Amino acid sequence: MTAVTTPVNTPAAPPGTPPAKARTRARRGPRWRRTALPYLLLAPALVTFGVFKAYPIVDSLLLSFTTGNGSAGHADGLANYRRLLDDPLFWTALRNTGEMLVVQVPLMLALALLMAVAINSALVRWRTVWRLGIFMPAVTGLVATGVMFSFLLRTEDGAVNRLLEAVGLPAVDWLGQPFWARMSVVLVLSWHYTGYNAVIYLAGLQSIPRELYEAAMVDGAGAVRRFTAITVPALRPLLLFTVVLSTIGTLQLFDEPYVLTGGGPDNATLTVSMYLYQNGFRYFDFGYASAIAYALTLLVSVLGAVQMRLMGERDR
Amino acid sequence: MSHLSRRDLLRASGAGLLALAAGGALAACDSASGGASGGDADTGTVTVWSWATAALALRGVVPAFEKDNPGIKVDVQDIGNPAIWDKITVGLAAGGQGLGDVLHIGCDYLPGYLEKFPGGLADLSAFGADAHRDKFAKGLWPVVTGKDGHAYALPWEANPLGFFYRKDCFDKAGIDPTTFATWDDLIAVADRFKAANPGISLLGINKAANPDPDLDFVQNLMQLQGAFYFDLQGKITLGSEPAARALTVLKRLDDTGLVADAPGAHGWADLMKTGKLAVAPMPSWAAHYLEAKFADQSGTWRLTKPPAVTPGGKRAALVNSTHLAVAASSPRRRAAWKFVEYALTRPASVNSMFTAGGVFPALTTAYADPMYAAPSAYYGGQSVLKTFADLATDGGDATNFTGDYARALKLASDAQTKVFLKGADPAAVLRDAAKQLAQQTGRTIA
Repeated sequence: MTAVTTPVNTPAAPPGTPPAKARTRARRGPRWRRTALPYLLLAPALVTFGVFKAYPIVDSLLLSFTTGNGSAGHADGLANYRRLLDDPLFWTALRNTGEMLVVQVPLMLALALLMAVAINSALVRWRTVWRLGIFMPAVTGLVATGVMFSFLLRTEDGAVNRLLEAVGLPAVDWLGQPFWARMSVVLVLSWHYTGYNAVIYLAGLQSIPRELYEAAMVDGAGAVRRFTAITVPALRPLLLFTVVLSTIGTLQLFDEPYVLTGGGPDNATLTVSMYLYQNGFRYFDFGYASAIAYALTLLVSVLGAVQMRLMGERDR
Repeated sequence: MSHLSRRDLLRASGAGLLALAAGGALAACDSASGGASGGDADTGTVTVWSWATAALALRGVVPAFEKDNPGIKVDVQDIGNPAIWDKITVGLAAGGQGLGDVLHIGCDYLPGYLEKFPGGLADLSAFGADAHRDKFAKGLWPVVTGKDGHAYALPWEANPLGFFYRKDCFDKAGIDPTTFATWDDLIAVADRFKAANPGISLLGINKAANPDPDLDFVQNLMQLQGAFYFDLQGKITLGSEPAARALTVLKRLDDTGLVADAPGAHGWADLMKTGKLAVAPMPSWAAHYLEAKFADQSGTWRLTKPPAVTPGGKRAALVNSTHLAVAASSPRRRAAWKFVEYALTRPASVNSMFTAGGVFPALTTAYADPMYAAPSAYYGGQSVLKTFADLATDGGDATNFTGDYARALKLASDAQTKVFLKGADPAAVLRDAAKQLAQQTGRTIA
């Protein structure tokens, strides 16, 4: 690209050339074109970013300092943020999100790691099929997932309860009881993203030099020892990456509870993002919804920074 | 056709309120242009915005109207529900630009429009609307009246509450529901009903409120007492005594084990289809709905007046209503008003619309028509329309949905779920809900 648009070296003016003014005029056109072209090519992306990302980000910050809507809307300083601190539903949403985060992220990542190690094993045949199988949920659409699981988790005749009953366990009211509704969300979330993380780990596993394992085996290290002493340390950058990404993803959790439980029962699966959505698009309190969005942003940044610091430290 | 089914109405509240707020934001930008500057021409083409079967019904009135009013043409447009709420909001926000002349508006939107867009709808009292005030079912006039006491719409559809029951089930238990004076009388015979009808429940309610709140029953019990989430001044009454009484009736019914859980969007219809419910406390549109949807249960259902909540209390309630309003921005407000008056204040018009579109009329003088007394085979030869006509004539108390209905509904629904799942005390959870509603809306608690 640069080789074409930028001349490698400007040739010196040959003797007896016309006055400088004419020369510059002659070159102005192409130079203008040369400098404008990259911007022109970037323009669609920049304009789209400006209109659909930058503008809403700035505007929602301004909105978060206003209350009321319609002709009654007016600037109101930090009123929305003060209201947030006194809002029991916001704290409920925060607690729900936290509880699901603490259970779901470690569970999912451990499972993903085990899956990756299993598929990477030399003993496994048809790896492509397995890989495809575990990655499939990650590309399944939101609505399909919601409909599928609401059928699987039905109390009376759902497949999950049938299975439980077949092994002698009692049926569970998956979506009707607060605790189980939360577990249902954890279940669907894990189903959706475990394969995605497993594929990331799998890529990492394949880049670990085989000689390390061979040397360890010569030294008499068993399978567990090889896993903890070689695999896990080698995957640490990827572990950090997935932990941070999963944490951010779960903090912003919306899709799964939205399609599965609607935030209920009695707000047991209400997440911060769902509460934001309700305030913005059900009650049209955009100022308050914006304040929730910025509170969430702050939380995500702080938690992300803490994780990077804790887990990334040994690299330095 | 039940063009105002409960699910449609719920769905409509979401989408419509979106429009209300979106438009509100626009209004903020455009507030300088102020109110609409329409005109009072009494000729021209009047555009009417409505939806589905109601639009169809309105079209049926047009030929006669145009014949009686030379110089006025009427164009009825089916905007669709919930799309119409979007379009009205955006139109009002734009100072009336692109708005129809006549607008069909539900009771859950009218207060919001009046609150958020003062001057957006034409003052119909100026055209003499007040002369018709006593022709409509009692309890509807306050809904169409603005804070200034002037009328901004005329009532069209009214849905009085009824008590549908499976006669075969109650017969088995030797119970006659027409003798119930209060809901307590039903609760008192619950055990007898249960013994005679194993596996059959009285009511079906979506206890976890997934995916949508299922508050119709509790709302109806509040309306029977002349109460709602808000009073007519817009103050919060969600934590009031009548509200607690309503939720307590439901809790006591549930304690008898005769309130089935109806999970999911189709839970209730599934229970009905399999014959597992013996009571359907539903408004007038249900008369046709039950017949169309559960045709195989023909002859088993009957209708009676809903029992009162308190001894000697009211046995009539108007669940909801829809109205026709005139846009203040219309250049031909008088012509538009003429059509509204023609369509809604003459028994012949409203009855032809009832036949064509199933819109149960709010105009009480319409009930003299013989079609209301006609027996219905589905209801064992009962004249269900006559019962509803009587109930509408008795009238209800006005219900103020305000512009914050969606929030109130959600909080009331959370309270109901707490009662179902945790056996919470109705009065306590409703008091908390009222406090939260006040915190969220800035309204005061009455």
